[in-house]
Amino acid sequence: MDIDIQELKDGWCGRQFDEVSFELDVREMLEFAIACGETQPRFTDPEHPDFQAVPSYASRFHGRRAMPEDFPIKSHQGFDAGKCVEVHAPMRPGDKIVARSEIHDIYTKTGRSGDMLFIVHRMRFTNQDDELVSIVDWRLVQNRVSRRAPGEGGP
Amino acid sequence: MSDSAPVRTFADVEFGEELPAFTPDVTMPTVRRFTDAAHMSWARFNDHEEARKQGLPGAIVPGIMSQGILAAMVNNWAPGCRIVKIDTIFRAALVVDSAPKCTGVVTDMDEEARRVEIDLTIANEAGETRVLGTAVVEL
Repeated sequence: MDIDIQELKDGWCGRQFDEVSFELDVREMLEFAIACGETQPRFTDPEHPDFQAVPSYASRFHGRRAMPEDFPIKSHQGFDAGKCVEVHAPMRPGDKIVARSEIHDIYTKTGRSGDMLFIVHRMRFTNQDDELVSIVDWRLVQNRVSRRAPGEGGP
Repeated sequence: MSDSAPVRTFADVEFGEELPAFTPDVTMPTVRRFTDAAHMSWARFNDHEEARKQGLPGAIVPGIMSQGILAAMVNNWAPGCRIVKIDTIFRAALVVDSAPKCTGVVTDMDEEARRVEIDLTIANEAGETRVLGTAVVEL
């Protein structure tokens, strides 16, 4: 695939393309924590005065679509290379969360099998008080891309 | 663990300190418990045979479960800490019903912010790193 990285970045990064909302369920928060091996009561005891979701909890949520409509690269063409979670405030049972998605960054790295294209999908999570609670960056990688300079023709 | 577990403060931590080795439970019942909670009950996570048909070595542990396991290791090491950021790279598949080991080592310390950075890994029985990452933790 022949790609102008700068053109992609200029055209797509920073534009919100999806918004979903949901309410946090205490049973799911608890089961998630226990399955991961958490032992602290603030994550495993819903009666604890500071009960909250584990720090990485926002990673489990998805939007209605992984990429913007008409984005030239489809999510199924790549693989999940990792997730980064920034924790800004606790997520609590009953919180009404809004998650907004955007393409945060697009870049290439050269590996043994050639250039790899990284697309960073960012979701920002806010609660019912419009407080930022979490940011999740999901890195999607596609192998074997070739770069072309801005303005250079392509198929 | 109760709230009476000793709180680890910034002063208790040494540069280069290794976190206690952590052996996570990635048996099928636990992975199914996770995928049920996370609404990810798909064959590649919950069924060895179906996962093999998809070209995988067996059912695999979801990447975000690996991330949660690493966060749990940090929280168990430092009760009362606040994980500010956790970044994980899913390098290769971690197979359900295997016996992986998690490690962590303190690689940076910021006294003013009372934060430490921890390098994290999950390796399989052969010692091959399957997941790696870093956590920034406030103490």
